Amino acid sequence: MMSGVTNSLVVVGRGAGTVVGTLYQSGRDSVDQVIRNVIPFMAFISFVIGLILYTGIGTVIAKTVSPLASSLPGLVLMGILGGIPFLSPVLGPGAVMAQVIGTLLGVEIGLGHIPPQFALPAFFAINSQVGCDFIPVGLALGEAEQETVEIGVPAVLFSRQITGPLAVVIAYLASFGLYAGSH
Amino acid sequence: MDVLVWLATHFIGIFQKGATVFSGLVIGIVPLLIVLMTAVYALTRLIGPERIDRVVQVAARPGLQYYPLRYLVAPVLSVFFLTNPMAYTQGRWFPEKYKPAFYDSAVSYVHPPLGLFPHINPGEIFVWAGIAAGITKLGLSLPELAVRYALVGLVVIFIRGIVTERITAFLMARARRSQGLEAEAEATASSQAGTPELETQPSRG
Repeated sequence: MMSGVTNSLVVVGRGAGTVVGTLYQSGRDSVDQVIRNVIPFMAFISFVIGLILYTGIGTVIAKTVSPLASSLPGLVLMGILGGIPFLSPVLGPGAVMAQVIGTLLGVEIGLGHIPPQFALPAFFAINSQVGCDFIPVGLALGEAEQETVEIGVPAVLFSRQITGPLAVVIAYLASFGLYAGSH
Repeated sequence: MDVLVWLATHFIGIFQKGATVFSGLVIGIVPLLIVLMTAVYALTRLIGPERIDRVVQVAARPGLQYYPLRYLVAPVLSVFFLTNPMAYTQGRWFPEKYKPAFYDSAVSYVHPPLGLFPHINPGEIFVWAGIAAGITKLGLSLPELAVRYALVGLVVIFIRGIVTERITAFLMARARRSQGLEAEAEATASSQAGTPELETQPSRG
């Protein structure tokens, strides 16, 4: 009788310990991630935005990038450029290009230079090159053989030249009705 | 002197503006991100990643009816639970001919859900947050954009999976053909290496 109670207490205690331990470890991992990868990028982006807003580079960007990002052909052009097989692996690393251009476009949207419904196709226009820098590593993580890597790299790059601009068009069609009442 | 003061004011002004932006980002994004990431990491640990393996193994089967599993369910589950870049390790369950397509499909879904599940790729959150900041500034609803981004992303990764699978099949077939041709060329080359002797004979005579 007594041992039954003790046993159940041990089981409950152990279970609670596991759950709390898991949660605590998860918290530690997420704080680690944020400090290592998120906050440094925030610092960099903050500097870029501060520079744009304070110096008025924003108006220069507004005259060059905004018209490009406020029309379907302009966005498709961005998608095509990002998907060029020679450019895409160079533009890819750390998604820095996508993040910086996205931030610039965000500033311009906020200033009213780009209509807000163009935000949706813009996500795809700035990001045709997603993962193109990482194909050999990504395939190696998937335990691909050397021959698969040799074929996989051009396969993904060629595919991207088609699907990059296509994604922009799909997103453009999907943006109908988005923020329709706002202006 | 005035020039120096002007310079000093504007020099520090840039960074003061940047600092305002930075504190906005840290206060606006970081707490949510940490809490959400903690919950998802714990969920993944409690569920056990090996359960995701099993779903992905089914997705790796050949056949047309597995397309939605292969290029929608498998990449989404991998990306959600394993996050960038560990999601790509799930490629190991796929036959070689599907691996590039699975990678393409998975890597293209590390950004579209960021508005809903930023834990997927916190290091690249500004692909979403950069543009989203403009929408917030205008006082418009963010979830509306986040949901559409995630849904369009699904359509896009499905198409990417199929297109890349086709291109991979084409390139693999071509590589096999050229290997066959190379073998043939080697065979003819070795036979030609024998022929000069025969051809020189008449000239000698």
